[in-house]
Amino acid sequence: MSVRAVWIISQEKGENVSIRYSRRFATVEHRAQSLAGGSYAAVPEDSTVLQLLLTELGLSDSHKSYVVLRDDCVHRQRSPALELRVDGPGKGVLWPVLAISQGPLILACLPLVDAPAEPRPPLASLLSVSQGLTLLAGLQTFLLSSGSMIDSEGLASRLAMLPSVLLQICPLGTPLDVPLLGTPATSTAPTPAGSQKQPAWKTGLHRGRAVVNVALVETVRSMQYGNRCRQDLWDVFGTVSCKCEVEGVLPNVTVTLTLPPNGSPLQDILVHPCVTSLDSSILTASSIDNCDGSAFSGPYKFPFSPPLEPFRLCSYTSQVPVPPILGSYQLKEEENQLRVSVNLKLHESVKNSFEYCEARLPFFNRDQMGVVDVKVSSGQLDVFKEKNLLVWVLGQKFPKCREVTMEGKISFSGPTAGPTDPLCTELTAYIKLYFKVPDMTLSGCCVDQHSVQVYSSAKPRIITCRELQSKEYFIWNSTGSAPVSSGQMML
Amino acid sequence: MAVNWAERISAFSRSPSRFLSGTTADAFLAELLRELRDDRASYSIKVLLLSPLCEHPTLLCPSDSVGEETALELMSVFAQCPPKSVQFRCHLLLALTSVLVCTSCVSGRSRASQDFLDLLLQIAQDTADLHGDGALRSLRATACDCLRELEACCSGLLSQRLELLGGLRHKETSRLHQAYAGLHALAIRNAVYQLAQETGAGADHLKALLGGNTSIAWEAEQDSDLMSNKDSSILSCLTLCPMGTVPTLQTGPDCKELRSVLSSLLEESYLLTPLGQAALLHRLIEVVAMVPGVPPAIFRAQLLRLLGTSEVCLLHSTLLMKCAFTDSLFSAEDEAFILKRLVVLSQHPLLSSPEKLFYMDCILHFPENRPISCGDGDESLPVLLTPRLASVLLPTVFNDSATMLARLNLLSLVYMEEGEGEEGKGLAYLYDHLTSLLHIVENGGSREIAVTFFRAAFLFLLYFFHVESYANGLTEKLGKLYLRHTHLAPHLINLADQTQDRLSESSWAVGLLRALQGVITEAPLAQLTLPDLSWHLKMLTRVAEEGEIPQRSTLRFLSSVVTPSSSPLCVSGDWRLGNSILGVCRRLLVHPTLDSLLIPLADILQHLACRYGDTDIQDHARLYYTLLTTLSKEKLAGVLARGSGEGGRQVTKRSLSCIMAESEGLTSVLTIHQTEKPIFRLVELDEEKRAHHESDSSPNVTQNCPGEANAALDVYRSQFHNPGFASEITLHYHLTHTADHDSRFDQLFSIRLHFDLTDDHYEELCDISVPCLFRERPPPAVKLRLKPRRPYPTTLHASAIFTTQDGLSWHTLLPDVHVSFQQAFLPLPAPTTWGIGDKLSVFEQLWEEMCSESGEKDQADCATSLFCCQLEEAALVALLEKHLLPYLLSDPCHKEESKVLFFLPPRSHMLLKIRSEEDAVHFSIATDNWQLLPHTSSFLLTITSSCEDK
Repeated sequence: MSVRAVWIISQEKGENVSIRYSRRFATVEHRAQSLAGGSYAAVPEDSTVLQLLLTELGLSDSHKSYVVLRDDCVHRQRSPALELRVDGPGKGVLWPVLAISQGPLILACLPLVDAPAEPRPPLASLLSVSQGLTLLAGLQTFLLSSGSMIDSEGLASRLAMLPSVLLQICPLGTPLDVPLLGTPATSTAPTPAGSQKQPAWKTGLHRGRAVVNVALVETVRSMQYGNRCRQDLWDVFGTVSCKCEVEGVLPNVTVTLTLPPNGSPLQDILVHPCVTSLDSSILTASSIDNCDGSAFSGPYKFPFSPPLEPFRLCSYTSQVPVPPILGSYQLKEEENQLRVSVNLKLHESVKNSFEYCEARLPFFNRDQMGVVDVKVSSGQLDVFKEKNLLVWVLGQKFPKCREVTMEGKISFSGPTAGPTDPLCTELTAYIKLYFKVPDMTLSGCCVDQHSVQVYSSAKPRIITCRELQSKEYFIWNSTGSAPVSSGQMML
Repeated sequence: MAVNWAERISAFSRSPSRFLSGTTADAFLAELLRELRDDRASYSIKVLLLSPLCEHPTLLCPSDSVGEETALELMSVFAQCPPKSVQFRCHLLLALTSVLVCTSCVSGRSRASQDFLDLLLQIAQDTADLHGDGALRSLRATACDCLRELEACCSGLLSQRLELLGGLRHKETSRLHQAYAGLHALAIRNAVYQLAQETGAGADHLKALLGGNTSIAWEAEQDSDLMSNKDSSILSCLTLCPMGTVPTLQTGPDCKELRSVLSSLLEESYLLTPLGQAALLHRLIEVVAMVPGVPPAIFRAQLLRLLGTSEVCLLHSTLLMKCAFTDSLFSAEDEAFILKRLVVLSQHPLLSSPEKLFYMDCILHFPENRPISCGDGDESLPVLLTPRLASVLLPTVFNDSATMLARLNLLSLVYMEEGEGEEGKGLAYLYDHLTSLLHIVENGGSREIAVTFFRAAFLFLLYFFHVESYANGLTEKLGKLYLRHTHLAPHLINLADQTQDRLSESSWAVGLLRALQGVITEAPLAQLTLPDLSWHLKMLTRVAEEGEIPQRSTLRFLSSVVTPSSSPLCVSGDWRLGNSILGVCRRLLVHPTLDSLLIPLADILQHLACRYGDTDIQDHARLYYTLLTTLSKEKLAGVLARGSGEGGRQVTKRSLSCIMAESEGLTSVLTIHQTEKPIFRLVELDEEKRAHHESDSSPNVTQNCPGEANAALDVYRSQFHNPGFASEITLHYHLTHTADHDSRFDQLFSIRLHFDLTDDHYEELCDISVPCLFRERPPPAVKLRLKPRRPYPTTLHASAIFTTQDGLSWHTLLPDVHVSFQQAFLPLPAPTTWGIGDKLSVFEQLWEEMCSESGEKDQADCATSLFCCQLEEAALVALLEKHLLPYLLSDPCHKEESKVLFFLPPRSHMLLKIRSEEDAVHFSIATDNWQLLPHTSSFLLTITSSCEDK
């Protein structure tokens, strides 16, 4: 249940690679040695680890089209655990190396295998693996939390804090916690006087007025084909985030989610570890079961004791009967130009009040755009010729009829070739929708302000909000072949 | 001198071996410890200084005794450190733990580790920080973690202190209770494990263990069987053990104490961080698995909370619980629920891709209540995973590579289990998916997509090579793909190689190669470009390896390619291209159907030999032509026998045509291999043999130097104007094999020895060549010429490159060569014509100069000293004879006072007057280099004590 070493690597698409931080845990290594016996392989020096790791991740020798060690078709790149084969004097196999990468960072660790090395135990039997994943994810959030844009200075200062952070969360290779965000890792709050034990995940105590903030965000994804033989798809998942400032060592708060009378039940509910108890009926609905009418449909009560920092109380998925925006997209090749016809229809159940709404129409594998002769019935059209991209800004509202259209012709007669994409060849093309609707959810799920219970002396201020946003919302050209996005629907 | 420690420490952690080649481990350790004691150094630097000890304790403390000393040293630093530098004190505890555990001081119950354990327990119990500064608490937290690590590395260390640990955990209300809970749970687990190993142990022992708090130190327990557990199996996770192999402790139903401890730990588990909770649960699962008296139902109250969690490690610990307790804790409905949950999590939009991959792995190793398979660690499907359930995990082109491959693998298993054939819809989907991937590659997908596609294709074939329509369809599509993207040749060859290797019962690979031969040879020649042609030739070389594939079309293709009238490509006479063509021909020469290929092949070779624009290619083509037309088929095969696969043993046979086929294990000849152990070493030659050698060469002339007394010294000194005079010492060694007998290395040739300095006291050494080293022959002599800058003792790292009989080159490390102080001694380098009198007068003059108090500038390094010891008369004589004879200037018969002069290159002298006084033998020392004095006295100490012993 420990890790032997941790590495943090920065890279830019396989170039300028360097190990920014590494830490070996000698006592865990000592245990690894006595556990593995004859098949023990020591952790080699950083440069060797780096080389092997990049090869395994397919990032080494990026200028060569084929390298056996990197590209062999037998490699099991499908497991979360990599296998590094060390050559030379310290020959052996390092397994299971966990690696996660985001942006310019690769984080890796080598969990201890606390089982006989031969035969190799299944990954699923090693607790150190899931612990390693948790540790890496925590470190990643910590290092990249300065914002979505990663500035090298922010990263450097976070890296400089790592030794003291690791002293707190993983002093001897056994991960105890994940790094705290924002606040320094040492606690400054006074110890409570009572007999109630302070949760280890709570760094201090709140003093002052109680404020509970609950935000419900639903995300809708969709794939629309406009084709009789291909069913359109959409799904919805929601998350409930909380920030609770409540006095007491272990205060009790209950948040209740409710559905409208005939709403379909919330499925696949996952809860934050601070939730104290769960009713078994809450967990029964699953997206992979057939929905039956008798299923439990709320209210969903989540009693918990909040940590100080904001956290995700729970998440769910939901099956809603209709997509919020139904679109159709048709392209026709005419001589050297493309005839475009788009229709978007906002469903009547959706509030016609967007924070933003726009449709993007990229065109790939063609010459650059020449003449763009396109009319829209509503909103504004921006043309980015150098990117072969049309951006249709629909703004805050659909017109009263809740329907908008785009018609016109585009010629691709530019002097240079436009962007390429291996998926979108010939008439395979899509519209991607980006929108956000405040104060509504598709599932109808809501957190009533009055349903939030806080067991404390002072009357708390309770703020709730909800919104709907899109993600991966595609409308494919119905005259071209669109890629399959769900195998389940095809069967 | 200001040392940039930040830089040095980072250089060390980047590459400890390179760093230590510039210094020695003990020197670096001494430096670190000195700096740690230095009051002027800041604590932030000191924290940095501890990192080498935390991360590489065994490099810096190679032996237990060094570890012990270092630990004592660190503890005294800890004692003197002001309480407010908490971070530093925490890091000190970590460094101490690392050093003591890794040098096995803890398992050896050394003095220092005992003191350290007491210190940790003391810190852990010191709750004075309760109302004070929260920062101080982190010292206590670190101490607890150190205790936990000590217990983890050295199981049972704290088994006699369970009550104390329980009490501490109970009392603690700050966040620290997590540290105590983790420690307590581990100590219980290890104690119960050890008890379970004892025969006849039962409820009473368990009760005594939980209630016992002996403060008796280790000594009392040392002889106990319980504590001398050297077996590493206690470190292993118990939930993994197959049923029935977990050691059990028979307590009967009466183990209230244990049950109440476990319940209280479980009740508070909610207050722990997810990572802490998962670890605690894991320990408790192990304990309950070992004690049948405690029912697994004790976990039930936690289950719902754990099953609903979004934390991967908490759900994982629930799976481990299921693995350990199966249907005694989980009903059939629970099992179905958990499996569904895993499927949902494997594709949950909010989880990261590694987490999803992990959950998919968990499905393939699902701990079923009633497993059908034997659970040999291989992937197998849970019975409850129906194709309908799994269908949400069907791969799509929108998945990232790893997810897509994992899904493809899982679904392939599902459909194989279902016995789906050509009509199966699921299988049809997978094939369509593979086709879509192929189209993406065809439309110019990135390298990563291409690699992923070939991996997917391999996986698909691995499961479904027997479904002919798909296997054939794939072959056909791959052929078309190749023609559009010839640079995929290595991928295709790799796919053919691997499927041939893994699916020996299938001939799919041969079919693929035949199809590729077809597309290459049938494509219109006019459109062929030079890069395409070179890929084609690579591909045809591989095709020609298959005896079953007829090669006529290949020959037709080659013939039209080399004929200028049909193709202009070979007109340039490019060597590489010619070589590739010859590569195909070479394979064809050993093809089983050679008889039928004879004439067209001979035509091509003849054409190349006469017309090709590169002389080298012409020559080789002529050679092949001659071989083809004159040798019998068997002889030809013998001459061109493939060298690959024999691990480079056949190197001597590759005489004729190495250059022709690049993939034939040439790399093994061109690479320098690394030996695993030292093969040979340098052994110092006996003093006596050496002395014998040298005395022969010294002329025995006794002639006095002309002139006055002072002149002798001037003449002596004038010699040093000659650069390079007496600046070298020569050390004599034999090069011999080490004891390890490996017959590969019995005969070694062209050995080149290379030496690396570990300090800057000497000039760089030249490499030394030794022609050969045979195990059965007398060892060759090696002379090491050292040029000192300062004649101090040193260590040389030695390595060598050599060739073995089979022609392979090797690199090996030799054991370090230690150069002692006395090895730098030379007799007085006086002119050869001088007699003893002159030398004596130089001695006297030097002595006088060195002893004079005049503060002249060049006298600043002069010093005198006195060394005394008890020695019998005879012993003294023996000592002079044995150690000092070559340097003795006075008459050996002159008993009262012996004068000895050591010359140490480049310019140092060490003069001794040895006189027996009534109480002791006095060694008066005078030198012109005071820095030699410590070495001198340790030298004298060594030689005199060796005499005393006798």
